[in-house]
Order: sequence, then structure tokens, then C-alpha cells
Amino acid sequence: MTQLFGTNGIRGVVNQDMNSSLALGIGQAWGTYLKKTVPRPRCAIGTDARLSNHMLKSAVSAGLLSTGCDVVDVGLVPTPTLQYTVKEKRFDAGVIITASHNPPQFNGIKGIANDGTELMKDVEEAIEQIYFSGSFALSDWKNAGSFTIWDGARELYINGILSQVDVPSIKKHRFHVVLDCGNGAGSLVVPVLLKKLGCIITEMNCEPDGTFPGRHSEPIPENLTMLMKKVSETHASFGVGLDGDADRVIFIDERGSYIWGDKSLSLVGDYITKKKNGGVTVTPVTTSTCFEDVIRKNNGSVIYTKVGSPIVAAVMKKNHAVFGGEENGGLIFPEFQHCRDSAMSLATVLEILATEQRSLSELITEIPSYEMVKTKIVCPNDQKEQVMHLLVEEMKHHQEIIDIDRTDGLKMYMKDGWVLMRPSGTEPIFRVYVEAKEKQQAERGALFYKNLVASLMQRG
Amino acid sequence: MCSVMNQPISKHIFRAYDIRGLYNKDISPDIFYKIGLAAGTYVKNTMHGTHICIGGDIRQSSQSLAHAMIAGVTATGVNIHHAGTTSFGQTLFAGGELKADLIAFVTASHLPPEWNGVKFYYGDGVGFPEEHLMNIRDLVLQDSFPFASWDRIGQVTPVDATNGYKNFFVSRFQFKKKLSVALDCGGASMTLSAPEIFASLGFRVVPVFCEPDPTFSKRPSDPKPKNLTALVEAIKKYDCDFGVAFDGDGDRAVIVDNTGQILSADQTGIIIGTYGLKQKKGTIIVNVECSKSVKEQLEPFGYHVKQIQVGHTFLTLEAKQTQALLGIESSGHLIIPEYFLFDDALVVPLKIAQILDQVKRPFHDLVMETPSYPTRKEEIECADDIKFDVIRKLQGVLSQEYEQVNTMDGVRVDFKDGWVLIRASNTSPIIRLTTEADTPALLQGLSARFLEKTQEIIQQMKATH
Repeated sequence: MTQLFGTNGIRGVVNQDMNSSLALGIGQAWGTYLKKTVPRPRCAIGTDARLSNHMLKSAVSAGLLSTGCDVVDVGLVPTPTLQYTVKEKRFDAGVIITASHNPPQFNGIKGIANDGTELMKDVEEAIEQIYFSGSFALSDWKNAGSFTIWDGARELYINGILSQVDVPSIKKHRFHVVLDCGNGAGSLVVPVLLKKLGCIITEMNCEPDGTFPGRHSEPIPENLTMLMKKVSETHASFGVGLDGDADRVIFIDERGSYIWGDKSLSLVGDYITKKKNGGVTVTPVTTSTCFEDVIRKNNGSVIYTKVGSPIVAAVMKKNHAVFGGEENGGLIFPEFQHCRDSAMSLATVLEILATEQRSLSELITEIPSYEMVKTKIVCPNDQKEQVMHLLVEEMKHHQEIIDIDRTDGLKMYMKDGWVLMRPSGTEPIFRVYVEAKEKQQAERGALFYKNLVASLMQRG
Repeated sequence: MCSVMNQPISKHIFRAYDIRGLYNKDISPDIFYKIGLAAGTYVKNTMHGTHICIGGDIRQSSQSLAHAMIAGVTATGVNIHHAGTTSFGQTLFAGGELKADLIAFVTASHLPPEWNGVKFYYGDGVGFPEEHLMNIRDLVLQDSFPFASWDRIGQVTPVDATNGYKNFFVSRFQFKKKLSVALDCGGASMTLSAPEIFASLGFRVVPVFCEPDPTFSKRPSDPKPKNLTALVEAIKKYDCDFGVAFDGDGDRAVIVDNTGQILSADQTGIIIGTYGLKQKKGTIIVNVECSKSVKEQLEPFGYHVKQIQVGHTFLTLEAKQTQALLGIESSGHLIIPEYFLFDDALVVPLKIAQILDQVKRPFHDLVMETPSYPTRKEEIECADDIKFDVIRKLQGVLSQEYEQVNTMDGVRVDFKDGWVLIRASNTSPIIRLTTEADTPALLQGLSARFLEKTQEIIQQMKATH
């Protein structure tokens, strides 16, 4: 269990728990780790648009340089751009300074492995161990690292995406896209990509600004109301909302309606498995059944994983998956790279619209619909294990359960839906997810299982 | 306010005019992070300023230290103009143009490559005086800093330190002749500016160690005569009008004439004062170590030659206050304030070239006309705990014995035909005795007399201590 690294790298409030001293130490620990296998590691470093980026980038760089790693600064880039650069330019590691969708007072440090994927837990644990031991492999004066600036990452990435989709066919349609970058890292990349795809763009919040003046950076419905309004006002083909580091994307259909992440995941999953006549796909246990429905229809299969995009990416890699992703707008295109990628998602949706010749809302309607209710209940960390144990015992006698999946927490399949109960890895809460055909049914289930957890806590 | 914990910091890295130490031993990114916090705190709280311009010399370790410092400065909410890897003059020029409150240059000047450090200047090119540097030291040791809130974190703006600096020289110097110069950058920071600027100004450039060499593998970074054999050979082989050698960061230039004769800083200063300055009145500053020939040669023209204590900070400060035309440090720092107050090394050879462009005689003829007297330097061992007392005692005793005694920096006694200077080393348990006289015989006598006197005082002090 890591103390510093959470599900998405190290995060904290700037100059409080996320400060230069920590960043410098992490740089030194990381460099020490890298030097164990590579004599002179090359690391790429980039940032999102936050105000504390220069500070933290300098601190991490100083740490890496002092252990004898060369550092290449690729500037303000989306997380997937940094990841693609690491993979394509054969860096030994990548660092992205970002707190993704968190509020502006936050920032973070996320590590990228040499294949462009997010660091796995065991690597993060090893880095933390070195950090807390304080014994860093500082280089002698002769072998201190060199720092250089490379301005080509954004272009490399855009050209990479263009090589993956049918550009002439997309260009022909001259799609009108309302693009809301949330003043984040997508601002310098996605407008350029859309221009190259022949789109007409209505830009919203496409200036990088670390105070996030336009909207909060998490692309949830309440933060995208202006975008939804703009799409229907301008009669655009569709709208796009990015998160702070542009790894996740939310689509708005041409009528201005918010499309939930599992719907866009299913739309793209359907398109890819249809084209390939099947294939393995990967998604966490929290994803709606609609995804499995469309994949199975195309003779594909679904592997369910624990929650967390690094795990999804790793399982995809191992199983040669054709597609995967999360229900929060994080879509992974393995032929391009094994990480969540908003710009690649956008280019693919444009290709789908060009191929299918129908509107986005029409395509979404064809995806089976389920009702999901997510709720949570406070549960102290030291009680989680006991509650989980009691839950499993309790459910043994439950008649309606058809199947049980223990990948992450306890997922129980019933005749017309499923229930997932999992303790959070980061907060003292127990999460309850219920999916059913009818909304009322899902709500009833959620209440029932929430109460059940509460009563088990009493009993424990 | 909150503090940061890390490796213990030795007080000894803080010297009179700069911070220096062995990389990843006495100084490290952890320590430079704190120096950055301290510099930011100083700019914010004491100067009420907003910007620091930072650059680093070509040493392999400069970038890791500069980035650590930036992380500290920005954490206090002070912004950075980042000049990157540059020569000394490039960063100082950029900082001046941008009106930075403070300029920090990561360097260990002429020291070997395993060393590094940092020097501070104010935006106008005046060096940081010792007491202000000690303010920074105290802030570092106090280890308590006013961290900025998330929305007040300092921002870093990259600065192009190359073109502005080059254009300055191109606009200020024109030459009629196509002079040839042998350029010895020693593989150090001046490789980043000097070759291109000399070429832009129309020189025929004979490069000597002009490829960047961050570990100084080809030539030690101190341009003392014994390290300049390749330069001297190149001047002779390619029949150059003159040659110049730079130190590691580019604040000292050593001039060599067309025959390969290496000039002292005093000689270079005399030639500039004789041929290179437009008006022949005003102040020329020398330190107490400079040759008496400077005064003898230049005062008859109408200059006032003013003696000050040793240290480039005093040189720049005095030059600013007296609106001096020229400043000479015997260690090789020269300032020509019509260009810069700071000791930029590139100005010196260009000034020499301007002189050669105008006069009709070869450089060596000019050099032969500047007299140089025999000098001698002695080092006397003396424990750190008494060395300053010894100097104080000598100041008292000698002031009573002799007429012309100057005690602004150690003790200097002037005679009609020579002088002696006795100073304690700031860094080692040593007292230095410098003498200059008209003839070798006089020098011998003078040196022996004061050597004996100093020894005598040391013995007395030892006895009473």
C-alpha cells in the first residue's frame, strides 16, 4: 500500500502537502530507481496548465538531474501527449505534472513507464520506499544530468492520431464541433487536431489558464451546462468537454444532451469490435452492462478489472485487447497507445460519424440503456475488511444471485441487473453501485445495500 | 511559515562574494532549493521585488542546481526569468534588460569542474555585497520561509539570452580592419557567446577550445599563464593580431599580444586607459593589489586613480558611485562602465580590438611601452584564529612607523620606489604578502623586511593567545 501515490499519482494542495521539497525528493527517488536498470536514463517531463507547474517541474527535474538522469522538457501538454512521446521517442520514463480534474489549488506528479503506460503499483511502492529511506544515488559532478527543451511533442502526437483515422472521410463532412478545453492542457493540441480534420470549431475555454476561470475541470454535467447550451444554440454536430489534463473526454450530442461515459465507451467499443469482428475488450467492474451487450453482439469478449486506468491498460496489454476504457470518459486505443486519450477518442468519434452517416444522438439511442445508481456510506478504514467479510457471508444465502465476481469488492449479478459493493482505496468510505433496467429498482437496491452495510458495521 | 528538512548545511559554503562548494558534497540540489527559498524571501520581503533572473554556466552540474533554485524561488511567489545555460555576461545582460530585481548566476567561476556555486548581482550589474549575501545565508540557516499560496506561486519565463547580448555588441562595436583573434574559451561558458559574436563583428577567428566541454577536459578553467600554451602557440602559428583566454563562467579575460606575450590585468588596464577611453579625465579604480604602474602611467593623462579594497563587489559599487571609466582588479576582472558595470569578459578583448583597429602599430609595441615592475608574492602560514588579529596589530604598528600607510584592506605601505601589501586570506590559514619595487634588488629588500616583521608579530600573537 503506497502512502504518497494514490490512484493517479501523487496529489495534494500546492505548497502544503504538494510542495517543491516533496517533488525534489520524488525526482531523486525516481532517478535512483531508474538508475538501477539503465545507466543513464532519459526522462521526458511535461505539465498541464496549472499555476504551480513551473515550480514542481523544476523541482522534479532537479531531482532527476542530480541522480544523473537526462531530462527533456516537452512543455505544456495533455497527459496522453507525454505518454505517446515517451513511447515513440523511446524515453526511459516520463513525468507529468498534473492534478487532472482536481480544483486549481491542487497539483500532482504522475509517473509514466518506458512503454508510455502509467506506473504500476509495485513501481510506485519501490519509488516511495527509496523516498522514505532518503538514500538517493546522487551522481558525481561529471555525471549530473543534462536538461534540454523539446518543442515537438504536440506535433508528434497530433500526427500520430491523424495516422490512425480516415482523415479524408472525416474532412469531407466538415463537422462543426463545440470544443470546451476547460482552460486545461488540451487547449494547445485539440483545436489544432480538429483543424487538421477539417472541422469548424466553436472554442470555449481554450486558453490555458491555471485558475480555471471558465469552469471546474471535472467534465461532469453540472460543469458542462454552458457547453450543452452552446451546442444546441449553434446547431453544431456535437460538443466535447475535456478534463484538466485532457486524458478524459465527454461528448454532448447535437441536441445538447450529456452523453454518459459508458455510452461513449460502448459507442466506440461497438465500432471497433464490429470492424474487427470481435476481439478482447477490457473495462473495470463499475462499467454498465451496455458495454458488454454491444461487445458480445459483435462476437467480442469483456474482461473486467479492478477500478483504475493503469490496471485496465495493463490487462489490455497482456490480453492483446482491441479496446478498453472506463465509464468516466477515459477511452484506451491500444493500436495507438495504452492510456486514456481524449484527442484519440474525439478523432475516432468523428470517424464513426463520418462512416455511419447518422447523428450522434441517433447512434447513442441504439446502445442498450440501463439505470445505474451510485451511492456511498462512511466506513472507517479499519472496519472495511470486517464489513466485507460479513457481506460475503450474508450474501451466501441470497437466492437471487446468479453469479459473483470478486475482482474488486463484491459484484453480484442478478437476473435483471447487478450490485457492486467496494471499499474505496483512498477514502474512508464504502461505495455501492446498483444497475437495473428500471430506475426505481436501482434506487431501491441502492438503499437496501447501503442500509445493509450500515447494519453490518454496527454488528462488527 | 513552514520549514523544510534536509541535509545539514555548512556555513563555509557562504563566502564573501559568492556561495561555493563541491557538487553533491558541500552543495546539492537540496541546499540550492533552500538558497532559492532564501533568495526569493529576500527579494520579496527585503527588496519588495518580483523577479529573479537566473542562468547557469556550462558546468555539468549547473542545470540540476539551477532547477532546484528555481523550485525554491517560485515557492515563495517570486517569478523567474530563466536564461538557461549561458556565459556570465549573457545572464547579467538579460537580467539588466528585463530589470530583474536580482540576478543569480550558477557558477564556480574559474574553479575546477567538480565545484559549483552561485553569485548574486542586482539588476543594474552591481555585485551583491558581503552583508547582503550574509542575509541570504542567515535566511537559509534559519530555515523558515514564507511559502506562497497556490495562486501566488512564481512563474518561469524562458529568456533568450543569446541574441540580445550579441546585438548589443554588434551595435556598439564597428571595425575598419579585419583583425584576427585567437579565442581560447577553454571549452567553458564563453563558447556560448564569444565565437559567434567575434564572427558577427567580422573577425578572423582562430578557435582554441571553442567546443562546449562541460567537464573542462581540455584546459583547466583558470586562465593562468601555465594553462595558455595552446593559445600562445595558436597566436604564433596563425599570425593573430591578439589572443584572449576566458575563465569558466566568463567574468575574466586574459589578453595575449601578437607575439604570444601574456598581459597582466594591470597592463591590459593601462593600455585601455591610454588608448581606449574617449575622455582623459574621470576616475579609474584599482584595488590595493594593483601595480603602481597603473597610477604612474594613467594619472599624467588627467585621470584620477582611486585605490579600493579587493573584491569585484567593491569594484562595481565604487564604479557606480564615482561614475568611473575603468576598473581593474589585479586578479583579472576588468570593468568598462561605458558598456556594463559588471565584469563581463567579452568587453575587454573587444576594447583591445577597438584600440588595435585605430593604432597603426602592432599590439606588442604598445605592450612594450607599459612598464612592468618585478613583483613577489609570499604566503605565510598563520592559524585562522589569530590571522586577523595579526593584521590589526600590523596596521597599528606600521601606521606609526611609516608615512604612507593604507589600511582599507589589510595593510599597504607605499614607498617612492615600491610598496608592500599584507592581507589575511579569507579562506585559508594564510597571510599573503605582496611586494612590488622598481628593481629586483629593492624588491628583495622590501620583501625580506616585511616578511620578518610579519613573522615577529605572529610569534607575539601566538605567545599571548
